[in-house]
Amino acid sequence: MEFQVGKVKNISVHVLPTNRFKTYAITLFAGTPLEEQTVTSTALIPYVLRRGTAHFPETIQLREQLDNMYGAGFGFNIVKRGNTQFIQLRMDVINDRFVNSENSLLQGALQYMGEVLTNPLLENNGFREAYVEAEKSTLKKQLDSIINDKIHYAAERCIQEMCEHEPYRLNASGRLEDLPNIDAQSLYTRYMDWMKDAQFNLYIVGDTTLENVMDLVEQHFHMPTDATPIQYKTADSSHSVSSVKTVVDRLDVNQGKLNLGLRMNVGYADPNYVTALVYNGILGSYPHSKLFVNVREKESLAYYCSSRYDAHKGIVTIQSGIEFENYEKALRIIEQQLDDMRAGQISDMELEQTKAMLTNAMREILDNANDIAGFDFNKQYANVDRSIETVIEQIAAVSKEDVQSLANQVALDTIYFLRDRQEV
Amino acid sequence: METLSYPQVEETLYREVLDNGLEIIVLPKPGFQKTYATFATKYGSIDNHFSVGSESPIKVPDGIAHFLEHKMFEEPDGQDVFAKFSQQGAAANAYTSFDRTVYLFSATENIDDNLMTLIDFVQRPHFTEQNVDKEKGIIAQEINMYNDNADWRVYYGLFEALYQKHPISIDIAGTVESIYKIDKDLLYRCYNTFYHPSNMLLFVVGGVDAEHIIELVKRNQTAKDIAPQGEIQRFFEEEPGAIRQARVEKKLHVSLPKCMLGFKEPEMHKTGEELLQHEVTTKLLLDIMFGSSSPFYQSLYDQQLIFDSFGFEYNCSEQYAFSVVGGDTPDPDKLVETIRAYITETLQSGIDADRFERVKRKKIGNYLRMLNSPEAIATEFTRYRFRDCDMFNVLKYYEESTLDDVNARLKEHFDFNQLAVSIVESPAT
Repeated sequence: MEFQVGKVKNISVHVLPTNRFKTYAITLFAGTPLEEQTVTSTALIPYVLRRGTAHFPETIQLREQLDNMYGAGFGFNIVKRGNTQFIQLRMDVINDRFVNSENSLLQGALQYMGEVLTNPLLENNGFREAYVEAEKSTLKKQLDSIINDKIHYAAERCIQEMCEHEPYRLNASGRLEDLPNIDAQSLYTRYMDWMKDAQFNLYIVGDTTLENVMDLVEQHFHMPTDATPIQYKTADSSHSVSSVKTVVDRLDVNQGKLNLGLRMNVGYADPNYVTALVYNGILGSYPHSKLFVNVREKESLAYYCSSRYDAHKGIVTIQSGIEFENYEKALRIIEQQLDDMRAGQISDMELEQTKAMLTNAMREILDNANDIAGFDFNKQYANVDRSIETVIEQIAAVSKEDVQSLANQVALDTIYFLRDRQEV
Repeated sequence: METLSYPQVEETLYREVLDNGLEIIVLPKPGFQKTYATFATKYGSIDNHFSVGSESPIKVPDGIAHFLEHKMFEEPDGQDVFAKFSQQGAAANAYTSFDRTVYLFSATENIDDNLMTLIDFVQRPHFTEQNVDKEKGIIAQEINMYNDNADWRVYYGLFEALYQKHPISIDIAGTVESIYKIDKDLLYRCYNTFYHPSNMLLFVVGGVDAEHIIELVKRNQTAKDIAPQGEIQRFFEEEPGAIRQARVEKKLHVSLPKCMLGFKEPEMHKTGEELLQHEVTTKLLLDIMFGSSSPFYQSLYDQQLIFDSFGFEYNCSEQYAFSVVGGDTPDPDKLVETIRAYITETLQSGIDADRFERVKRKKIGNYLRMLNSPEAIATEFTRYRFRDCDMFNVLKYYEESTLDDVNARLKEHFDFNQLAVSIVESPAT
């Protein structure tokens, strides 16, 4: 699985020619530093870009283009990796051989993406005001709605509290309070800066060649000529914890959400990265993991209790949904699992199961075009050259002692509990 | 072994029905690392009143199919089967829907072992009073989790409003009260009825050899020597054509109200290809009318009555058929009123021919894109198979659909007497 790489102005183009899929999967990663001043306006950019372009000023015209390309998928998401805010544009279009299309669908898709990204509809030296106002409202609803999903809300609040003094506290989609200050002109200014500052990586997985894609990108992406893309800086991963922070929020909920934030200080490029994967697997990412077995299966305290390793930030989070009155008991059992990891109380079975699961997950990447692109991009972003095969070899080599010594580097930072309003 | 070729989509299926009635389908995907297998029983939350052979009929507590799914993972030696899958590098899971329970794994190695583990654990129930009681706490937390989920609440509110008797309006997991009525004898009764091989389908997709897989399963099943079983009868009280109530409202803290409209169709008694064609035409109709490239969608969006959460779907089986349209909105009443007016207008004007052609293309493309995903193929194939439909014919029906079909469906489907609305909004403070 080797991507062919080329460069068109400030876009790095990565192509994996393969005929295993029925589609072309296209992903554009565009990253800029995650910062208070720009987080909201940057997040708003794709919302407005999707509304209209110079050639297709009306949203309906743009959407009809997608229908005409046999229902090409188009979407965007906004995420953070470490200290970087990413706008990711995705397209997914079927391979021409399955339909009688007059025009190449790959060409159509790249033309569409190029048009949306680089040829927006402009009026009075800015974006169309009606679109900016409507999309501000949509983004506001989006941010307001985080509270509807309590699992997501609790996870978000835990990170906010844990990373109170770091950019990572910010939601990648921005902050409500910034929205009133953004208008069609200021957003356009931000867009122009973003086009020059962002690092653009375009991935295509499908039945094509680098040469073909380069031609199409050259033709359809009108990138700035004076760009100075930022260099990615990995997140600071030497965060010490002096005392555990405890936060309780109260809302009208039926179930309590107990979330923990832990500092591991092992990043994606760290030599210990694979050991961290194994640590997280033993602790809580599988049904055989300590958290699931002890909190759910043995004590029936929760339906879900799991851990997640965020490698780009070097942290681990734990999440569970419990009865309010079981807070202390659940917390005690979770902390016991962390202590057991530190004491090296890890069975051969747990180690073996976790390795088998991780190895499987690595191999499965190869069956999904988006996962293939995502894996390669993470390497680019963290500036580390580590193939799937290398990861698999490293997984096999991890010992119980390695995991234990890493476990002793993990410090509980924040305990967050979302509970009901009644009784104090 | 039967070979079924679908050259247009470059797929070939292999099928075999064993002596004990188990149906096996294998879809080899050359070049794929992973194998995805589902072992499904045609048994879901709605099958709560049944008999088999000459047995007398029984009514069981709500949520029992889902409870059974949870309990299957525990093995006679007290071990959890997840541990075994993990050891063999497989990610395993299960889910219960209205009409089926599905056990599955995905793995890149030890495929034969994992497949045998899948079949064996589903065919080896182990329920004790103790392990059944212990599960109640876990499932109660699962039910509480859904009670806090506004999307789930608005969806179930709509079923409640649409259906008077049919168990589709019952929450798949049951209620905290109903699950406490479940005991091991009831679980065995349900298990013995619905987990007989003749009521099940095994689907294997991935980098596998079909003949080898079928041979392997055949040997496993022959060794178990499972006795044949009489026919399963499912009893459903007759569902009146009318809806139960026009409006259901629930209170839950949400940033914006959630509002869904549903149109209930009278029982159609359609099965097989007829049902499939019906579904395809109705899905086309809904996409033409409410899809994000429709003028109506855009106008709702411009009025800020809807946002990206707006969507629609259509569900149909032999016994029930209904559409769902809606999403988050600041003004549920205005949204309902605007959609009603639009439907009235469309009933008069009929469907736009250009838009029909465009959406037809889109649906064809979406279907082909779905075939990239082994998970989606296994899920969809099983869902259709249990309704006696062939998922691979969906493409044909999209291609054959005409403007006249869609216009006919338009007139049939939208009857305002059959409209119910479900709303979730924040309590007044």
